Amino acid sequence: MNFGEFLIRRADDMLELGLAHAAVVGGAVLISTLIGVALGVLTYQSERARETVLAITGSFLTIPSFALFILLLGPLGLGWKPVLFALVLYGLMPVVRNTITGLRGVDPAVVESAKGMGLSRRQLLLRIELPLAWPVIITGVRVTTLVLLGIAAIGAIVNGPGYGELIFTGLARVGTPVAVNMVLAGAVGVMILAVVFDLAFYTAKRLTTSRGIR
Amino acid sequence: MSAPATAASTTDAEVVQTQSAPPRRSWPGYLTMPLILGLVCLGMFLYVQSRELDSIEARSLNARTILTALQGHVMLTAVSTLVTLVISVPLGVLLTRSFTRVIRPYIIGVLTVLQAVPTIAILVLLAVAFLFLGFQAAIVGLVLYAIIPVLLNTMVGLEQVDENVMEAGRGMGFSRWQVLTKLEVPLAVPVILAGVRTALVINVGTATLVTYIDAGGLGDIIVAGLSTNRILVQLIGAALTAVLALLVDYIAGIAEDLLRPKGL
Repeated sequence: MNFGEFLIRRADDMLELGLAHAAVVGGAVLISTLIGVALGVLTYQSERARETVLAITGSFLTIPSFALFILLLGPLGLGWKPVLFALVLYGLMPVVRNTITGLRGVDPAVVESAKGMGLSRRQLLLRIELPLAWPVIITGVRVTTLVLLGIAAIGAIVNGPGYGELIFTGLARVGTPVAVNMVLAGAVGVMILAVVFDLAFYTAKRLTTSRGIR
Repeated sequence: MSAPATAASTTDAEVVQTQSAPPRRSWPGYLTMPLILGLVCLGMFLYVQSRELDSIEARSLNARTILTALQGHVMLTAVSTLVTLVISVPLGVLLTRSFTRVIRPYIIGVLTVLQAVPTIAILVLLAVAFLFLGFQAAIVGLVLYAIIPVLLNTMVGLEQVDENVMEAGRGMGFSRWQVLTKLEVPLAVPVILAGVRTALVINVGTATLVTYIDAGGLGDIIVAGLSTNRILVQLIGAALTAVLALLVDYIAGIAEDLLRPKGL
């Protein structure tokens, strides 16, 4: 059976695993974006807070995923929970960093004139600073998504959802003809998701960037 | 990405991968990480000592097994990082020369998306498709995966060198080669160092997975714990891996601070 036939025969498997993979990564991206933007907004004005939050979220990214999944097994058990939690931790750093970079890149003259117009701190943030920083922030989210898609595959080690299952089952059947197809299908699946997510972010970036700076 | 990259990152921010090294670190800042890691190791040691290990646990959790795994892991990380740098830094230089200007955004875009290929898939494919196992296969897999982020880093680093500086160099009568070696490369050193750090951190993490292709490393201990259902062994293996990764990142961070050319 060649690879094409394998894909056709396993089409519903591929679809199901793909949806599960996309769901866990999508959920994690959403949560890390919310937390990450909040952390960025809270810390970007003070150098010390900024460095601290970047150092901590950066060290999450340093911990090997295989090790982190195992460490989370104890408190969270098998399944999607440890995977989601680990992915959220991994996703934070690029979002926080780009939020801080974006907010600090806002022209001080613009901020000054907004203050002069009588905008409150909150209005300033929501109506001036975040919209101007948004293209940089969403780029951080995009990077996060691509990295998380790959890491999620390793989540199969703790029975996590997604294409990792194909890869690890393939590994267990090393030497049989189907093994190569399974691993290849897993990798190709992740790649397709990566392209889909990337296109989605490209579109989202265009649609959500405020018109004046597009 | 460090602060000077801000201007570039608004357009090229998709490639910002490395964490910025804090520009100035106070002494307590330098000491926190080793202190935490030391305490974690001490805690693990005392806990394992206080437990009555069964024969399966004792087979994994003894000094000799752990040291062998650790040594293998460090070797894998060092060799793969070296190979990664030897390939990706010159390639990065090549891809930022003027003849690639038209296709460069596409290269960067493709490389960015390729980062999503799961490492484990690369490693396992080497094993199942080519029956390529062991240390050399692991190095190939690790390098294939780490090349992309380091390459992206180098390219961005070289691109963000101020055009005016290069113009001034040319005005002083520098040849193209001199502009590259005397201006571009020294000015891009911080970014290349950040790339080294990225490569180290990625490789130290990925090296955990090469146990699946019989290449040793600390992953051996975790997988031994998984396959014999010994939670203690899994946890110790995972915690040791995490400690090693954080330590490598910490040392690389210090090296980054020390090696950065003065005046930048």
